[in-house]
Amino acid sequence: MIERGEVAFGTTGRNHCLLHSGGRYCVTDQESAIECIDENLILRRIMPDLLELNDGLFVAVTESDLAFKERFLEGCAACHIPAHEVTVARALAMEPFLNPTILAAIQIPDGVFEPFRFCLSFLATALKNGATVRTFTEVTDFVCSDRNPTGVKIRDFRTGKTETIGGDIIVNAAGPWAGEIAAKAGVSVPEVPTAGVMVALDCRLNNMVLNRLNKPSDGDIVVPQRATSVIGTTSWKVEDPDLITIPPEHVERMISQGEKLIPTVRRVPMRAKMAVARPLIAMTGTDARELSRTFECFDHARDGVNGFVTITGGKTTTARAMAERVSDIVCQKLNHKAECRTREVPLTSYRFFFERQNVLKRRALAQLQTSDRPNIGFEERT
Amino acid sequence: MLTVPVEIFRFKPGQAQRYDTFTVEIAETAHVIDVIDTVWAKHDPTLTFRRACHHSSCGSCAVRINGAEKLPCIVRLTDVWNGRNPIRIEPLRNFPVVSDLLVEVGDFFERMSAASMTITCEAEGFLPLTVDTFAVAGVLPKTVELPDNLSRFNRFEQCIECGICMSACPTMATDNKFIGPAGLAAIYQARHKTDDPTRVKHLLGLADGEHGVWRCHSAFECTEACPQAVDPASKIMALRRELALRRLRKMFGLRI
Ligand SMILES: Cc1cc2nc3c(=O)[nH]c(=O)nc-3n(C[C@H](O)[C@H](O)[C@H](O)COP(=O)(O)OP(=O)(O)OC[C@H]3O[C@@H](n4cnc5c(N)ncnc54)[C@H](O)[C@@H]3O)c2cc1C
Ligand code: SF4
Ligand code: FES
Repeated sequence: MIERGEVAFGTTGRNHCLLHSGGRYCVTDQESAIECIDENLILRRIMPDLLELNDGLFVAVTESDLAFKERFLEGCAACHIPAHEVTVARALAMEPFLNPTILAAIQIPDGVFEPFRFCLSFLATALKNGATVRTFTEVTDFVCSDRNPTGVKIRDFRTGKTETIGGDIIVNAAGPWAGEIAAKAGVSVPEVPTAGVMVALDCRLNNMVLNRLNKPSDGDIVVPQRATSVIGTTSWKVEDPDLITIPPEHVERMISQGEKLIPTVRRVPMRAKMAVARPLIAMTGTDARELSRTFECFDHARDGVNGFVTITGGKTTTARAMAERVSDIVCQKLNHKAECRTREVPLTSYRFFFERQNVLKRRALAQLQTSDRPNIGFEERT
Repeated sequence: MLTVPVEIFRFKPGQAQRYDTFTVEIAETAHVIDVIDTVWAKHDPTLTFRRACHHSSCGSCAVRINGAEKLPCIVRLTDVWNGRNPIRIEPLRNFPVVSDLLVEVGDFFERMSAASMTITCEAEGFLPLTVDTFAVAGVLPKTVELPDNLSRFNRFEQCIECGICMSACPTMATDNKFIGPAGLAAIYQARHKTDDPTRVKHLLGLADGEHGVWRCHSAFECTEACPQAVDPASKIMALRRELALRRLRKMFGLRI
């Protein structure tokens, strides 16, 4: 696994942290809703210690939200998402900061993850099973025989060293950068990097994930996590996922929309604001909000290029399913028969990721001159 | 837009350490992490640094800004820039530098593992998480009854394992095996999640060890620097009190 930054350096690290129940998509995008609830249940099993599991509420703030209720409940039933209506009084008892004028509330099994540790624990498990993970290392180019990739050129930013590594099959899982990587291999991936803004508040105002009971729109979710509540998001197409300029009006929109769910939002100082791009799969003539959140695996044999597969789209919630799909395709291409075990096997502690690297590094460091390495001691304080 | 000079610590194995100065064009509302990101994206892609969440949740981005340990994702540019001098960005202290702002965190995570504390816990109060939530929100706390058949809400622990307290701790500089503020705070939390006497004994044993709570000079720098209000210093003091009390009771032949 080659990653140009630290683990979770890309979109995953900076997302909204919502372990989707699928409720958000159960009316507009049922394929993706079903993927979400299936994975939600699997993740509860394999990473129970890494999730805040307090459920979520879909609340009706306006009459039009209320009119959506029946479709929402039907959508949940169609996608086997457990959903039940709770009284407004109970919703307010559970959420003292919730807008007291809400008209209805439905409880669904949303949860909250922490993306960095989410990724670390998958990678720690992979390390334990023999994977090699190289962070701070960028893929700069492909090595091809005819048009078929047989390896990649990489550069380690920590040391400046470059090298070439070979592979029977190369998987492109570069999120919103997947198009860029595919282009290096001479194929195109129909991807539209679509950014979203989130605003984190200086304190936590909700226990459960709060959603507007309606079709997905801007600023309609407040995800609580640790000591903060995060309002999100917006959706617009961007050219360069590395440098997204946050439009100031998007920040204001988060506050003005968030306020409809939790009126105190405007009174609380802002802790942080961030934007990051989704790797959405393009469909001609569709608005960014309407693009499906489902995922897609492209075997580039269809483009006349062998040994190269792209996996993109999806959600962090469905990351494991994406890995399963791409691994199945790789196994099939390599004529290797193996059952997927990631549905069942509980993940290794995320801390093992760094501990393991520590052991390896200690070994490598013993060979390096210690005088090479500055250790900024305490006396340095200015 | 502002034009901001920023001075960044640089190091690659085999090369001498130095500071590079960059001038970045950036929005006045930016946070310091946006400055670092811009340097990397526009000026020098070989700059190595860590970050993920951009909102003080992952703990990976910790560095020193003008000498003080901070999470650049929650520090506003205008709070640390005086309009003239470059903002200085350096790696954490008391961690070996791998490259540029990147430090080796393996030892630190080994310490955090010692207490084998899970990162989820039961919410302490019903709401809020932080003591001053109500104050910040300008709302008076009300005692909320938990609705029937609802178990307590669960939460991630406050500590984001950012290492800031380790960098700010004067004891770390004199004893590099010191468990450190975050590790001891984790032992405290883990100890308060269990009644199992064997586990309590194990945890208190860790705290009581050669590199445990008695090494702390009570400088309280950790509590001062911690961005998450974990208050490791008070937790170290509480562990000391429990250990001292147990010793006393043992001396007088009482049950502990
Ligand atoms: C605003 C927003 C909010 C979201 N909220 C949620 C949510 O609440 N819940 C949810 O489930 N999903 C959410 N998502 C969706 C989810 O975050 C993404 O679908 C998911 O993170 C994509 O993961 P990925 O692994 O495909 O891409 P990434 O996480 O971006 O991974 C790709 C990696 O490739 C690396 N890379 C790029 N180029 C190279 C190269 N040349 N060499 C080496 N490495 C390279 C990048 O550094 C990056 O780390 C959200 C998305 C957005 C935009
Ligand atoms: S105790 Fe505070 S400063 Fe120390 S690692 Fe945890 S969050 Fe960071
Ligand atoms: S980037 Fe996650 S804590 Fe700063």
